Amino acid sequence: MRFGPLVVTFLTGATLIAIFFIPHHRAQETQSIILEWADVVYAFALVLGSLTLWTMHQKKVRQRGEGWFYSAVTLVSLAGMTILGVVQGVSADTVVGRVYNMVNAPLASTMFSLLAFFIASAAFRAFRARNVEATLLLVTAIVMMIGRVSIGEFIWKGFPPLTEWLLDVPNLAAKRAVALGIGLGAISTALKIILGIDRSYLGRG
Amino acid sequence: MGETLDTRWFDPARLNLLLGLLTFVAFLAINIRRAHSSKAGLFIRPIAGLKALDEAIGRATEMGRPVLYIPGIGDMSEVGTLAAITISSRVARRTADLGCDLRIPCYDPVVAALIDGTTREAYREANRADAYRAGSVYYVSATQFAYVASVTGTMLRDRPAANIYMGSFYAESLFMAETGNLTGAIQIAGCDQVTQLPFFVCSCDYTLLGEELYAASAYLGREPNQLATIAAQDWAKALAAAAVVLALILSALGHPEFGRLLRTS
Amino acid sequence: MAAATKSFWHRILGVDRRWIFLLVGIGTTLPLLFPVNLPVAPSPRVKAAYQAIEDVPEGSLVLVSLDYEPDIMAELQPMSIAVLRHCFRRHLKPVILTLYPAGPGLIESALAIASAAEGGRVRDEDYVFLGYKSGNQAVILGLGENIRGLFPRDFYGTPTDSIPIMKRVNSFADFPLLINLSGSAIADYYIRIGASRYHRPMVLGSTAVMASDYYPYLSSGQIKGLIGGMKGAAEYERLVGIVGDARHGMDAQSLVHVIVVLLVLLGNVALFATGGPKARIGGGA
Repeated sequence: MRFGPLVVTFLTGATLIAIFFIPHHRAQETQSIILEWADVVYAFALVLGSLTLWTMHQKKVRQRGEGWFYSAVTLVSLAGMTILGVVQGVSADTVVGRVYNMVNAPLASTMFSLLAFFIASAAFRAFRARNVEATLLLVTAIVMMIGRVSIGEFIWKGFPPLTEWLLDVPNLAAKRAVALGIGLGAISTALKIILGIDRSYLGRG
Repeated sequence: MGETLDTRWFDPARLNLLLGLLTFVAFLAINIRRAHSSKAGLFIRPIAGLKALDEAIGRATEMGRPVLYIPGIGDMSEVGTLAAITISSRVARRTADLGCDLRIPCYDPVVAALIDGTTREAYREANRADAYRAGSVYYVSATQFAYVASVTGTMLRDRPAANIYMGSFYAESLFMAETGNLTGAIQIAGCDQVTQLPFFVCSCDYTLLGEELYAASAYLGREPNQLATIAAQDWAKALAAAAVVLALILSALGHPEFGRLLRTS
Repeated sequence: MAAATKSFWHRILGVDRRWIFLLVGIGTTLPLLFPVNLPVAPSPRVKAAYQAIEDVPEGSLVLVSLDYEPDIMAELQPMSIAVLRHCFRRHLKPVILTLYPAGPGLIESALAIASAAEGGRVRDEDYVFLGYKSGNQAVILGLGENIRGLFPRDFYGTPTDSIPIMKRVNSFADFPLLINLSGSAIADYYIRIGASRYHRPMVLGSTAVMASDYYPYLSSGQIKGLIGGMKGAAEYERLVGIVGDARHGMDAQSLVHVIVVLLVLLGNVALFATGGPKARIGGGA
């Protein structure tokens, strides 16, 4: 039985729940300290994670497995950025800063922009009038797609108010219902873990 | 400048929340008792997506292809991530039993370390410790789209037979689910981010909606105490729905006081 | 003939998704090359955000947290520029920070554009840029207690204690307005801590897909206004009276939406032409 982690989980969870109800400045400072500890733990885990990454890709390069060249690029990038970051810092005028702004930033923007293409293909496949519910979804989707852009107003002045109504009434009602379920589910999951009912995160079912 | 220091030991504006929490704990205690005293056990309605997990892992085993488990991009402060970790342990147990290859790319290093531990333990419990492959749970990157590039690359190169998405997902959901759809894998998703659910519904074979993600661990484990938490959650939901309806009626009748009691600060 | 027609509709149903990608690509590119500047009507949510900034007394300091990275800059960067320009125009003094490591580069760029467009603003006199701080929720909690302690130096290395306008502020309570533009759970933390615990008026900007998550906060009064996605940014630009990247982008967004609607309609016509809803639906390749 892993008694230690269970005690730590219970004490931390119970303390944070208590702090939620205690506005005393000491309690709030304690919360800040606990959150800072979480940052410190994260830093250690980041080192551990990076070592796993290194080991995995190093193995691939050694064995010349499929795509080993990409693993080599990963290793060089990881080592290079880490060393330069520690030596030079990470501000905008350093190598790390420049690489981040000139390589990472455009790559991330490009990746995100692909979302439009995926949305279009998913919408084409999913919005089919198979039954009454699907037809309702289809009609709503079309009204929303047209009403939420400038051209919607051109076509019919009523589109923008109709989309606002759809967002404010049926959409919000459904969202609140789902959010209520999620909120209670979150409380339930948190209590399961704090009280040690669910220990599968420790490797115990 | 700055606020004067607060020296109160209780925030009265949060009394309603405290009462709600205590009520939930009471429901939980009652249902744990019920679960242990009932011979038949507590009923929990079947969740199609979870029933399909066995089918998906079985199919992957038959095809000799891996199962890809994606635990979302939430960190440990998100309940969806906690649910993803517990479900990963159940999935690992099944893959260990069936001798199927399991791969778990992680976004968060803390989550990676935890899932690595639970997966090893699951293999050990299945008496297949030798089958656990070091590196099957691995940290990728804490940058959203670097993670997406790696996961979708794995999908296209290794063609997993089953992709299981469980946890907190954001803009990356559709990228991964559409790529998985392209490869023809069985796809099962569970997400607690309402805005991402439509994307999963469009691209996956089964989707666990919101709270079903949290119920998954209890459903797969079938332990009385875990099932009791689901029953307590249902009782709380019924109570909340009744309170909302009552507040609505009383407000319509000109008595908004009850509705105000439900407000949070 | 009938067989040929049937075959055509079947081909439509099973169209290779790369054709769809191509159409979306063309729909995005053309309006960017040949803008028509379609009109934009501000929604009540964006008007409320604009009004919240209008209501802040001239010369006040406002806390602006710009929490995003390059991936979602297409939506949030034009929003930041429009909001900063509005602040500068009203002679408000933004105290800016970010909780994302790749944020400072974008913020510097937004500040440079907004400052130049509003006649040039002086760092540490008209605005302060505190830079990046890791710790999300812990930082937001810290902002409620001791900002100068949390950020002993600004982004450029100047001690915050030595910046004259920073002497006027040290916690949420000292700001008449909080502005948070983000595409993540950071917005929830600001609402829970800044708006709810410290009761500060707050304006929120988010990506389009996340905007509807925050409607309940708007109706409960926890946030004063909401700018959602590129459309929200375009509406804000219209209210401020500028034509920026968001208004240019709305042409492309309009055309792509129309293309998607036409594709969806075509898919449904094909569905019925090939035997109706009960027939097996083919997906994109």
